[in-house]
Amino acid sequence: MKPPTDRGSLVLGAYVYAVLAFIIVPLVIVIPMSFSQNDYLAFPPTGFTLKWYAEYFDSRQWRAATWLSVQVAFLTAICASLIGTAATYAMVRGRSRLVTMFQILLIGPIIVPHIALAVGLYLFFQTIGLSGTVAGFVLAHTVLTLPFVVFTMAAALGKVDANLEAAAMSCGATRFQAFRFVTLPLVLPSLASGALFAFIISFDEPVVSFFLSGIRQKTLPRRMFEDIEQNLTPVIPAIATLLIVLSIAILLGGHALRSRSKTQSSAG
Amino acid sequence: MTKAVRSRFWHSDGRRLSGLSTLLLLLPFFAVIAFVFIYPIAQLLVISFIEPHPTLDNYARVIDNPVHARVLMRTLWTAALVTALSVVLGFPVAYYMSRARGALAAFVAVCVILPLWSSVLVRTAAWSFLFQRNGLINSALMALGLTSEPFKLLYTQSAVVIAMTHVLLPFMILPIYGALRSIPNDYARAAAVLGASRLRTFLEVILPLSLPGVVSGSLLVFLTALGFFITPALLGSPQEMMISTLVSKQIREVLDWPFAAALVGVLTAFVTLLAIVFSKTLRFDRLMGGAS
Amino acid sequence: MGNEIFVKPASTTSAAAGASIRISRLEKRFGPVFAVDGVNLDIAAGEFIALLGPSGSGKTTILMSVAGFEFPTSGTIQVDSEDLTYVPSNRRNLGMVFQNYTLFPHMTILDNVAFPLKMRGLPKAERHARAEAALATVRLGGYGSRRPNELSGGQQQRVALARAIVYQPRVLLMDEPLSALDKNLREDMQLEIKRLHAELGITVIFVTHDQSEALTMADRIAVLKDGKIQQIGPARELYERPANLFTAGFVGEMNFVDVTVESVGDLVSVRLPWGETWQLPPTAAVDAATVGEAAVMAVRPERLRLGTGAAGQVVKVTLSDIVYAGAAMLLIGRLPDGTELRARIPGASQLDALAPGDVATFTVPGEAILLYRGTRR
Repeated sequence: MKPPTDRGSLVLGAYVYAVLAFIIVPLVIVIPMSFSQNDYLAFPPTGFTLKWYAEYFDSRQWRAATWLSVQVAFLTAICASLIGTAATYAMVRGRSRLVTMFQILLIGPIIVPHIALAVGLYLFFQTIGLSGTVAGFVLAHTVLTLPFVVFTMAAALGKVDANLEAAAMSCGATRFQAFRFVTLPLVLPSLASGALFAFIISFDEPVVSFFLSGIRQKTLPRRMFEDIEQNLTPVIPAIATLLIVLSIAILLGGHALRSRSKTQSSAG
Repeated sequence: MTKAVRSRFWHSDGRRLSGLSTLLLLLPFFAVIAFVFIYPIAQLLVISFIEPHPTLDNYARVIDNPVHARVLMRTLWTAALVTALSVVLGFPVAYYMSRARGALAAFVAVCVILPLWSSVLVRTAAWSFLFQRNGLINSALMALGLTSEPFKLLYTQSAVVIAMTHVLLPFMILPIYGALRSIPNDYARAAAVLGASRLRTFLEVILPLSLPGVVSGSLLVFLTALGFFITPALLGSPQEMMISTLVSKQIREVLDWPFAAALVGVLTAFVTLLAIVFSKTLRFDRLMGGAS
Repeated sequence: MGNEIFVKPASTTSAAAGASIRISRLEKRFGPVFAVDGVNLDIAAGEFIALLGPSGSGKTTILMSVAGFEFPTSGTIQVDSEDLTYVPSNRRNLGMVFQNYTLFPHMTILDNVAFPLKMRGLPKAERHARAEAALATVRLGGYGSRRPNELSGGQQQRVALARAIVYQPRVLLMDEPLSALDKNLREDMQLEIKRLHAELGITVIFVTHDQSEALTMADRIAVLKDGKIQQIGPARELYERPANLFTAGFVGEMNFVDVTVESVGDLVSVRLPWGETWQLPPTAAVDAATVGEAAVMAVRPERLRLGTGAAGQVVKVTLSDIVYAGAAMLLIGRLPDGTELRARIPGASQLDALAPGDVATFTVPGEAILLYRGTRR
């Protein structure tokens, strides 16, 4: 007698890999297309050229959009990390009814559709002159990324024993010193990982950027949107390829940070 | 007693922050949320009720005008369809992921998480390449001899549904995966040895126990799909708008702010209501936990 | 398809005897590692067998193969001469109790117990009646409408037991079913399981790493190590005359002394590390003794006698610890060569004079000594 072949598992496996192909193929397909000599994005791609990458890097408009997005994402990551860490620390260690209010408000930016916030900010920022400014983008993206920083930090801070700070304070440290020299080093990898999260969300954020962008101040997603909407050229696959490489790099970076934080917290 | 309460506000003890410190630490958050989140949306809602004069007309127009009513229905229907497709496509992947081990598990996880980390625009752009007249899908269909003429795929509602499902699928897979992972292996074994076939084991034990994950993922996908803008704006037909594209049109082309505000009001109220009703099931932090 | 073989009429409750099980040349490999390495095991109908061994000894893998959760690399498993080796779990008609109860948390207690009957297509009224009866058997009548999380660990495990026997399987598998319970509950449950076994006449395979559990409960115990059966026999045989050094060390407490065999005749004479030569009865040699070879002498701590009153070999021990341990005193000391020796002496009064550092004299009765080939070092 032989072990029976497991037909159920085979069917499940085939189905799962078909779905995974559905997830991955559209992402992967842009890579060969970015090297195609064909101007019209026809499939299959023909020849090999780097001219679309050259076009991206040579274009002043693309460069300006990319630089704006980098600035905004960088500042957003800093603001969201600072505000988010302070608030999370208050949530984990604090004692106040405000904490409950904080937890409710935190869900807001995730639940409320981005289009609603985008339209509201479009109106509001125009009246106070923040539309199309770096400060405007950073404020909007800080709101959108805060929940993700808080979730990351809450998981990390929750694991740090409150007694560690009590011990530091019994050694003469102030509350701030206890945080600075004991808690912060323990949660630093998670803080970096949360900031990375905020950076990539801001960098890729299309909807609010779409409405807040002025004629001259356009973020990279807004420029891409226009390009896809109007004249789809192979510059888009080239940029998409670069962005996918960036995502992979950030994903790997985040993974490295998390595994570091795991070894640290298990050591502590 | 009042004294004790007051002292807890001013002074921290060894483990807990004082009320004052808590307030100070939360203040930047509240300031940003009030200024950049609550105020702009509240302002829109106010406009929807008072412009051009105090009235409910703006809301009446959302329902009375058959074109607008159809946009609402289409939005609901599309979100429901995307949610259903995500469950059908996502559940088996989540199940497979929860059972896989080692390198295989890592591979599946990367396939699910990588799209989450890449821009929605990139993913939507990819679909617009695939759906072109001479894109991959039409080329493949013609090469296989299934059609002699390329299909019109781009700028259709089907394109919107397919691409939105693609974009939102990870939000379905991760909560279900989280729920399935928390079911001990022995439950399936116990059911099997007690006489349940694999199908019965799944229906009687695995499915009921993973239901919270399915509900949570479905809500997440449904709520996000309702307000989705980029994908319908780039892949959809102007004749088949969704609520977000209608809002955008009212603001950028028609310049009818009160009506746009009313549309945003309807969308926001509906989404918030659903979130409140299901607040127990929605586990946003699980999304992050699943991603790590 | 074949549902009728699963359910016997409810009337044959007590007479339904267990099934015999034959495991032949069972082998399970994970890559290069043999989890089970050529195990043969014949279990009589209605027998209570314990599989005892340290973790990684293969005991659980054997149980998983019998349950059908894992298919062996080679070998066969027969129940009542029917080959079940590759039959899916749900068609084996076995009962099983798991370590962590595994009651389905979304079902009531009654639905949990009725679950196997539902799978076998019984009408609702009958399965509820039989589930109630099974709950009564484990003394949990009236608990049917509760949820698993409303019950204590011991109660949950009794429900799991009821669920495993409700369809009157002829074999009951138990995977460390008591290890999650605390000590008192564990002893209650041991009696409960023994009682059920006697009542139902069911064949039981019981996996445990707790030797006292195995010794008190099982008709026969199979001691496993590295995927192989080291010894199989009733508790008394296992304890009184372990078949090899591993079993001797694993089951119960044992003192070991390395010796060299000097001659083999009417008596076996061995030389001890500190130069003495002892004459042992030939029955002491569990393995055949060979002149000139290294051997290990083994004695249970409770077989040692304090003083020189009894017949046997006399040995002097420098005491290091004297521990009051309730029913007996535990004396720990060193033999002249430094080997540690433990003795359990009942009755505390005669020991009042002893203190750590004293040299005590013990008598080792000849029939208490076992001799194995090999060495401990």
